[in-house]
Amino acid sequence: MILLKSKKNQSGKSMKLEKKIRKLSEGTINRIAAGEVVERPFSVVKELVENAIDADATRIDITLGAGGKSLIIVSDNGHGMTPDDMMLAIERHATSKLPEGDGGDRLFRVSTLGFRGEALPSIGAVAKMTITSRPIENSDTHEAQKNAPISAMQLDITAGKIGDLKPASGTQGTRIEVRDLFFATPARLKFLKSDRAETTAVGDVVRRLAMAYPGVGFSLTSEGRRSFAVTTEPDGSDASRLNRLAAVMGQDFGQNAVPVLAERETEKGHMRLTGFAGLPTFNRASAQMQYLFVNGRPVKDRLLNGAVRGAYQDFLARNRHPAVALFIELDSSEVDVNVHPAKTEVRFRDPGLIRSMIVGALRTALAEAGHRASTTVADTALRSFSVPSYGRGGGEKPSAPPMMNSTQMQDAADSLQGGFAQLSGYEAPPQTHEDQSGEPHISSFGNENISESVDAYPLGLARAQLHETYVLAQTGDGLVIVDQHAAHERLVYERMKEDMAAQGVERQILLLPEVVELESAEADRLMGRSAELAEIGFVLESFGEGAVLVREIPTLFRGADVKQLVQDLTDEIADLGAALAIKEKLEEICSTLACHGSVRSGRRLNGAEMNALLREMEATPHAGQCNHGRPTYVELKLADIEKLFGRR
Amino acid sequence: MKVTIEQGALLKALEHVQSVVERRNTIPILSNVVLEAQNGALLLTATDLEIEIKESIEAEVGETGATTAPAHMLYDIVNKLPAGSQVNLSKDEAATQLSLNSGSSSFVLQSLPREDFPSLTLGDMPHAFALPAGDLLRLIDKTRFAISNEDTRHYLNGIYLHIVEEDGTSMLRAVATDGHRLAQAQSPQPVGAQDMPAIIVPRKTVNELQKLLKNSSGEVSVQVSETKINFSHENMSLTSKLIDGKFPDYNRVIPSNNDKRLSVDAKAFVQCVDRVSAVSNERSRAVKLSLATDSLTFTVSNPESGSATDELGVGYSAEPLDIGFNARYLLDITGQLDGDMAIFELADSGSPTLIRDEQDADALYVLMPMRV
Repeated sequence: MILLKSKKNQSGKSMKLEKKIRKLSEGTINRIAAGEVVERPFSVVKELVENAIDADATRIDITLGAGGKSLIIVSDNGHGMTPDDMMLAIERHATSKLPEGDGGDRLFRVSTLGFRGEALPSIGAVAKMTITSRPIENSDTHEAQKNAPISAMQLDITAGKIGDLKPASGTQGTRIEVRDLFFATPARLKFLKSDRAETTAVGDVVRRLAMAYPGVGFSLTSEGRRSFAVTTEPDGSDASRLNRLAAVMGQDFGQNAVPVLAERETEKGHMRLTGFAGLPTFNRASAQMQYLFVNGRPVKDRLLNGAVRGAYQDFLARNRHPAVALFIELDSSEVDVNVHPAKTEVRFRDPGLIRSMIVGALRTALAEAGHRASTTVADTALRSFSVPSYGRGGGEKPSAPPMMNSTQMQDAADSLQGGFAQLSGYEAPPQTHEDQSGEPHISSFGNENISESVDAYPLGLARAQLHETYVLAQTGDGLVIVDQHAAHERLVYERMKEDMAAQGVERQILLLPEVVELESAEADRLMGRSAELAEIGFVLESFGEGAVLVREIPTLFRGADVKQLVQDLTDEIADLGAALAIKEKLEEICSTLACHGSVRSGRRLNGAEMNALLREMEATPHAGQCNHGRPTYVELKLADIEKLFGRR
Repeated sequence: MKVTIEQGALLKALEHVQSVVERRNTIPILSNVVLEAQNGALLLTATDLEIEIKESIEAEVGETGATTAPAHMLYDIVNKLPAGSQVNLSKDEAATQLSLNSGSSSFVLQSLPREDFPSLTLGDMPHAFALPAGDLLRLIDKTRFAISNEDTRHYLNGIYLHIVEEDGTSMLRAVATDGHRLAQAQSPQPVGAQDMPAIIVPRKTVNELQKLLKNSSGEVSVQVSETKINFSHENMSLTSKLIDGKFPDYNRVIPSNNDKRLSVDAKAFVQCVDRVSAVSNERSRAVKLSLATDSLTFTVSNPESGSATDELGVGYSAEPLDIGFNARYLLDITGQLDGDMAIFELADSGSPTLIRDEQDADALYVLMPMRV
């Protein structure tokens, strides 16, 4: 149980001495801003689960009745509380988590989830609460009880009235039962949402905590139905963390995520960013699947959304959002978690540094994954193949041939080539005839590459062009279908960006500078970024109170709505702390130009052209998706194809 | 209504009026052209609620009357009738359809009542004057390329027409700018225009007027009020609303103290710019001009495709200067010069440059450089 525990991850005798519950010094109490901890059922669950995590539980079970309004039970297998601890725990500002005597300095270096010492008394004040706890055996902390049998004790609190301590039955850990939440404050009760909405909110809280603590198993039961359950993962490794994220965010995320890692040294110590980022082709219509955890605490921060958008802006259309789960660990003096009683918001000492670390790490991770399109793409492709119903009637699996060995694979490849060679014979009749026939056009080319090994290239060797739009390539262990227009567009775009970075942005000086009226705070904020904006071709000047003068714009912006752009920029700097609008606009223009400058669908390519395209895709970063997050190619593994034919 | 017209005459008039009709309309009747038969003539009227064009043509009127019919379709039909054939248009008072007959062809078109057609009431037009069509056309042609396409500064979406005093002479001056470059042309003030308000004529009106006046001679009468302008020429009349806004004080951006004077053969200059910008692309239109004594070097470099240089002997005696321009803007402006020699007055690589025609003191251009 929470109140008992001292700092996580720190064992050793010296720390154990701090486990005694005691009153915070007057100074510390004053520094803790007053605030309402218990707002809705989910805040009860959050406080109780955080306590359980702080008590080193490895298994936390949550039960809800009527969305938490009639019943909330949180039971854990943590180290529990002794009877003395229990009595103290229900007093306000009693906690085991802040040490005494340093005038509250520790508050600014909080490393446990809870620290305010408000949770239990607050809940006890508005509900009927029963605490049952059995402390860990052989605890040498409590000499007095050493010889007494350790058993569970139970304590009732009803609307702030503390009952008597009674012996009870129970296993090690703490079980807190909260009934009739807010019965003592009917006004608050009226403002609760429907049972379903409250259940959803609780689920969201539990899921977020579950993501942060793979070492803890969670279950959530609502109205007798188990709505969420994850088992304990061996803590620590990337694999277990990804397993847990996949369990919460969906298996698709598990398959389409790349690890993110960045470390920075600051004057205050080490800062570390870990987590997983979804591939751009695995995108969503909302930014909901973006999670940030700071020192294990789930937080909501606009900084994250801005940084994620900045990192993915090359790969996704503006209205599509990637899925990410990022974990920042930093010295607790670098972050203020005491912004809000519910602790969902944090303040960083240096948000710019955090932002650049996130953007940098995401970009690096994506660059390494530049060639992976999400597996959902191939899966969708596979699913859309209709499997004929005949031959499957008996329910008996056709006897699968043994896995092909590599010689067989080469044979298969050769025969595939033979097949296309025959098809090229088909191409011989006059083309006009062919076009009239409405048959799919297959252009293929000869055997000049037959000696080359398909294994040498990740994207394989081009074998044919289908419908003058798709390039079919054979790889060592499957086949690749490339959308020639999307792929070439991406290549042209990447080249343009490189040029632009190398050459700088051309600027047109305005004959009639444009005056944009803003609020004066906005104008100041914008001018604070003027150096950064000038770098991308946007030269601004302050123009009296609350106005800026646009002096120079990038040449590419001819005809763009400068006023609107400045307005967007200002909003973005306020919302996201970043000036993305100009870069986005520039890149939008570039991608339009890239679209015009690239090979269209319907253009027939010969073998050399197709192979050149494949080779360039291999050499170009981020060639796996087009500028809008759609894949440029789909890879079907031989294994997948075999599945289609029931061979596996 | 019953009326007979020669195909060629009808086609020409329809061509003029239909060009103002928008392809897509939310008000159905705006897709139509008004046909009015009276006094031995057919009067055609079309509008987009901003501009109204009327044209009358001689016709054999069997029965007076008026109706409206789809403008683009009518134009298309008449365009496809044999040249020189006679076209009969007829509609009974009670009927909702217009019949068109010519030779063996006959068409029946849905019509809408004349009464529903909106008209751009002219109102009181206190200022009236006349000027040669050629003069008006010249003011338009020299300036309209610089009209802005941005909707945000709507007051730049037209030609600013106003009267100025210059060296004791009163001039009718046209100015257009898109915030990157500015064009100004003027002609002597026509009699009666002295008190006319300064007005902004919208881009679409300018373009329609240019089409109507192309290749014509004679006088154009102009009537102006605070909110509308009307041009009449021969049997045509164009009425337009004006842009409600204040044109910026353009005189401030016309440099007067540029001390570096370059004189260059306009045709050769155009050719050089055009030639070197062959290596530029859509993204990069910059051409760098390097001036030294009596020589001008053009440079375009494009990391993607390569670079180009060209040289031209010019008249230049000030200190050397490198300055970059958007090649398209340079070509737009120098393409307007009729004379042989172009005069550039420059200050430095970040200030506006003045461009003039040596022989034509009544037109001048200002261009802002690029940072390259």
